[in-house]
Amino acid sequence: MPDAMTAEVRAARTMRREPLGVRLSGRGGQGVMLAGAIFATAAMYDGRHVVETPTYGPEARLGATKVEIVLSEHEIAFPAVEKADLLLCLSRDAYVKYGRAVAPDALVVVDETALPTSADLPPGLVRLPLRAVARELGAEMVTNVLALGAIVGLSDAVSSRSLERAVEEAVRGKDELREVNRRALQAGLDLGRAGRAAGGGWAGGRAAVRRD
Amino acid sequence: MRLVMGNEAVALGALAAGCDFYAGYPITPASEILEGMAHLLPPRGGVFLQMEDELGALAAVVGAAWGGARAMTATAGPGFSLMQEHIGYAAITQTPCVVVDVQRGGPSTGLPTLPSQGDAMQARWGTHGDRPAIVLTAASVREAYDATIRAFALAEQYRQPVVLLLDAVVAHMREPVDLPPPPPPSRQRPRPSAEPPFGEHPFTPFGSGRAVVVTGLSHDDEGLPRTGSARASERMLRATEARMAADPALGGLTSYRLDGARLAVLSYGVTARVARAAIDALRGAGQAVGGLELTVLWPFPEQGVVDLAGQVDAILVPELNLGQMVLPVRAAVAGRCRVESLGRADGTLFQPDDLVAAVRAMPHDSPVGREARHA
Repeated sequence: MPDAMTAEVRAARTMRREPLGVRLSGRGGQGVMLAGAIFATAAMYDGRHVVETPTYGPEARLGATKVEIVLSEHEIAFPAVEKADLLLCLSRDAYVKYGRAVAPDALVVVDETALPTSADLPPGLVRLPLRAVARELGAEMVTNVLALGAIVGLSDAVSSRSLERAVEEAVRGKDELREVNRRALQAGLDLGRAGRAAGGGWAGGRAAVRRD
Repeated sequence: MRLVMGNEAVALGALAAGCDFYAGYPITPASEILEGMAHLLPPRGGVFLQMEDELGALAAVVGAAWGGARAMTATAGPGFSLMQEHIGYAAITQTPCVVVDVQRGGPSTGLPTLPSQGDAMQARWGTHGDRPAIVLTAASVREAYDATIRAFALAEQYRQPVVLLLDAVVAHMREPVDLPPPPPPSRQRPRPSAEPPFGEHPFTPFGSGRAVVVTGLSHDDEGLPRTGSARASERMLRATEARMAADPALGGLTSYRLDGARLAVLSYGVTARVARAAIDALRGAGQAVGGLELTVLWPFPEQGVVDLAGQVDAILVPELNLGQMVLPVRAAVAGRCRVESLGRADGTLFQPDDLVAAVRAMPHDSPVGREARHA
């Protein structure tokens, strides 16, 4: 185990599904791949087994992209996520392409601009102004880190302490980016926690619901 | 412990093996190997070259190896097709080098850049003529690192191009691994010796300073063309293949929960990961199923498969192609048990449930298939 297990980590663990399948998706250029690496690094710091698998098309920008992360207390055999327990969609294309393969009772976090106009939205869907808040912070490019904060604020899928450490590492040596990413992470956590208080996230009881 | 991508592990494995020359041309899903080497090699005094295409890339690697470099390139399916000519050239010139092919859906541009295992046969037979081929594969980030180190060792031992066959999933996945820091770049030049530069082991390696004639023609131990007496070339080919067959370093099989198994899933690369999940599920449901994973595709680890056929009633061979490695499996099993091929070439991974269903559909409570297929 790379880190001693803090009380916070322990508390977060009890709320987790086993194994937990996470899918982060968006449009090429939104930093989804980096978000996946940061999230997986945080899970590693929590002392969990983790495999992160990115998928992207030949386009350098704008194609729908996804990254899947499997978290477990045990060694992970199958590295992909069939039905996500936790899904993030930052673009409409990604929502249309990757939004359906989710587990029953999954937590689905969608940027408000990414929702189709007419769609039967699944229960458990949390709609957040991720891109808008990132723009308010002065840089839409931090939407990815803000979104990570939001899903962790909602679910405690990884500990916020580990997430913070992973974000710090991602901006190491890039002084001009550190502060805005710190603020984005905090704004995301606040947004997620507020959403959870409003009943949007996993409550302790619901987290115990297992999928087949 | 650090989160490392499969392709990054290949680059780090290459450094650990003393690689000091990389030439390549970028292509998804192999580009991170090139990017990693571009970043890592020059500060260590190594050479990184981005060539005009994959033909040039492997040509540069072959030339560098003649100069004594530990040289490699990496590509994906379309580039691997272009490299076939020079793989043959490296083989006949007995040039040690490493070629990584991160497979993606093909043929040609095919399914950019979805995962595939469609190059298993090409890696063996893609270049014309007979040659002793070494093809390694890996199912995890750690295995990719280890296999890269092995590839360099085998290339020098057998004086052959060694292919490391990965797939888009293993190449792009990140897993926490504990890798040692790369050793300092202190490679000593090989010393000249009295041994001839070519032929069977032992020989003087390239880069010792000794003048050597290199030819793409069949040649004698001094490297001089001897097309008039090709028997010596054939003898060398056979001797090398025999040496490989007897080499425990090319054993190439890992078993997974095979104890007491009556059914087996034989797999490699990312499909081995799917198989492990399926085997866990089936074992949990009380079925006596185990797995055998190939870590060396070629030379095909025949004896291990023969032994497996003596233990189980049936073997399932899932592959992300329409049935390639199932062919040598069938040849090795030779009717001792049933062999089922399960292939797909649509750029999609098997799900564990797919393999669970395929195993359940296999008859296994009697020695079926033995009498049916071989009169």
